[in-house]
Amino acid sequence: MEGLGLLGAGIGMGLAALGTGLAIGILSGKAVEGIARQPEAGGVIRTTMILGIVFIEAIALYTLVISILLWSKG
Amino acid sequence: MSAEAAAEEGFDLLHHLAPKVLYELKLGGIDISITNTVVTMFGAVFLVALILLLAARKPKIIPGRFQSAVESIVLFIRDDIIMTMIGKEGMVWFPFLGTLFFFILFSNLLGLVPYSNTPTARLSVPLALAVVVFLSVHVHGVMRHGPVKYFISWVPKGLPLWVWPIVFVLEIVSAIAKPFSLTVRLFANMLAGHVIILVFLSFVLMFGTLLVSPLSLPFAIVMMTLEVLFSAIQAYVFTILSAMYIGAAIHAEH
Repeated sequence: MEGLGLLGAGIGMGLAALGTGLAIGILSGKAVEGIARQPEAGGVIRTTMILGIVFIEAIALYTLVISILLWSKG
Repeated sequence: MSAEAAAEEGFDLLHHLAPKVLYELKLGGIDISITNTVVTMFGAVFLVALILLLAARKPKIIPGRFQSAVESIVLFIRDDIIMTMIGKEGMVWFPFLGTLFFFILFSNLLGLVPYSNTPTARLSVPLALAVVVFLSVHVHGVMRHGPVKYFISWVPKGLPLWVWPIVFVLEIVSAIAKPFSLTVRLFANMLAGHVIILVFLSFVLMFGTLLVSPLSLPFAIVMMTLEVLFSAIQAYVFTILSAMYIGAAIHAEH
């Protein structure tokens, strides 16, 4: 049963990247729609978008930390 | 070490990101050795002080090139971070947030220089910064509103009485999770970028041939360029989140 930790780290990181990619894609798509419809609100929308991306990204980074822990244990 | 030997024995990638001890130093059993991480961090502090002092030494009404470059960053911190996240009361926090921004920015950027080691990619430095932010947010909140009023304001108004303790416990957990997520965000972002550059470069060793270098080297250079961008973005993100937490503590009555 050796190397299962490595397998878990890889699969977990991949799933986290999948979810984060989808979420950031949807979020920035909607933000672009909003800015295109109302360019004068662009600054506020952009700041909110970056904040949202940051919170989504944090979830993937938690997975990264867990993956590194699993990886270093083998 | 030849490429074949390295490919056979397998190597520990994270080992290359560990700090190198330059001068051993022990104080009462605590290891305070001077590593290249420490040197990089003090280099960042020195550079920030040098650049900001030079820019502010003789401020002119019509700024020169250097002064207006520094001024545009400072104005960005004031208008885009403090004014939008806290409002006018937040100007008290301008020195703190500005220092935070410049220190993280220069630490991240100096970490890209060869032979240095990014201080923000070691868990301790972001953790220390996040704890300082955590303490200043809550001490400021308690001093401004008084302890009872401040802690009551954590729970949204108009909840039924029996939900109140549950939500309060949840809010305590989220308050403790905030510095943790600040730490991990900065640390993991900086570490991940360096690991990716390292992985691209060590493809040469992994495959044991120089034929992969025309592919892996350009990717490493592209990632290096992206790292410069991420350095700035992470400094911005850390500062704007700190500003958001401070703003929530200041406007606790809502």
